[in-house]
Amino acid sequence: MTDHVSRLLAAFAYPLTTVRRTFAAGLAAVGTYCLLALSTFPTYSMQLLGADMGYLDEAVVALTANIYQTTGALGLSLVVAYAVTTGVALTAAVGRARVADRTGVRGLSSVVPGLLASGCASCGAGILGLLGFAGALATLPFQGNLLRLAGLCLLLGYLSRLGDPRQCAVTPAE
Amino acid sequence: MNRPDSVSTRRAVLASVGTFAAGGGVVYAGSQLGSESTAEPSPSPSSDGPPVHRSSETTGFGIDLAGHPILGRTDATLDMYYWSDYQCPFCRRFETNTLPKIVENHIETGTVRLVYIQYPYLSQGSLTAAVMDRCVWRQVRDGDPARYRDWHSTVFEAQGEKGSGWASRDSLLDITRGVDGVDADAVDSCMQNDRGEIESSIATDVDRARQLGMQGSPSFVFYNRDTGSDSRLVGAQPYEQFEAKIAAVRNA
Repeated sequence: MTDHVSRLLAAFAYPLTTVRRTFAAGLAAVGTYCLLALSTFPTYSMQLLGADMGYLDEAVVALTANIYQTTGALGLSLVVAYAVTTGVALTAAVGRARVADRTGVRGLSSVVPGLLASGCASCGAGILGLLGFAGALATLPFQGNLLRLAGLCLLLGYLSRLGDPRQCAVTPAE
Repeated sequence: MNRPDSVSTRRAVLASVGTFAAGGGVVYAGSQLGSESTAEPSPSPSSDGPPVHRSSETTGFGIDLAGHPILGRTDATLDMYYWSDYQCPFCRRFETNTLPKIVENHIETGTVRLVYIQYPYLSQGSLTAAVMDRCVWRQVRDGDPARYRDWHSTVFEAQGEKGSGWASRDSLLDITRGVDGVDADAVDSCMQNDRGEIESSIATDVDRARQLGMQGSPSFVFYNRDTGSDSRLVGAQPYEQFEAKIAAVRNA
């Protein structure tokens, strides 16, 4: 348990080891947040951005307010937390890819499925909307917050396995 | 192998603090955006605005107008079908930021007539509000139909958090009592006696919206009654987008 927490802390600290990594993690987090916000009302987002990409800020701001009003502070916090964690995970994944020659490709291959799985869970609102289930989130437990929490837990789980991508995990001798 | 050292731990702590600060900032901003939106009063429509009227026709687009309030002149070239949910924050945003400009520039000038259609999908409170909407319209349509707009705006102004109980029958009746010209007792009676029939009619409107591929609210269809052309718009988009859509369908 302590090892998992240590690795999780190490994973979160990794983007802060250089300015470049910090910038990359921040950019990935902002990009993820925008995607998650836009995916809560896909038809609106597509129409507005299809008309003019200059509406991106307006769409993100409007949908941020909408997320807050429909899912509360908890729902918006989960989306933000997920975006930040994704930024960390993506940076760590790139770091792991760079040392993959030394650690083997299993490290990278364990990150990608995690990102995909948690991405699907977290942006469930958008996926459901794209599939045409209008209002489906309203019928889910806690307006979809449980779905978002599941995605976040998955991502944290993968980060706690990954740790600092520059270091190999120590496997206790059996 | 190296374990995370104290520098990494400090960085992790720093990362955590930074994350909480950034996250807290976004959530705070979200709450302020929401409260700004709910604090702005809608302009009072009342009797000075464009006429509100009824119709029993079925439009060329296939919308049965019976039971739906219509804002604007009967001979307007364009129909603007407006599906909304009283619990939807985006609908409130449209009502506050965009609708007044559409009324001023297109409905008062006689180009567009707006048809109010209920699309309750967010919760049971949405359906209760939608049924009351129909009851209010039945109560005022023959005497002073402009009162419907007053009631409609007042309910959107009173919009609270979803699931907070603000859209319960009792709460909505309290709101109704505060609107001049609307008999809350008659509305209550309608809610008790005609709810089943009205819900069935609303279900038809919801089905129609889903057939049109509408996955949220507010949703709009612009229909040119002369040429039969139509176009759709989804969400509380900026006024310029409505302006462009109206021009496109008008010239189609």
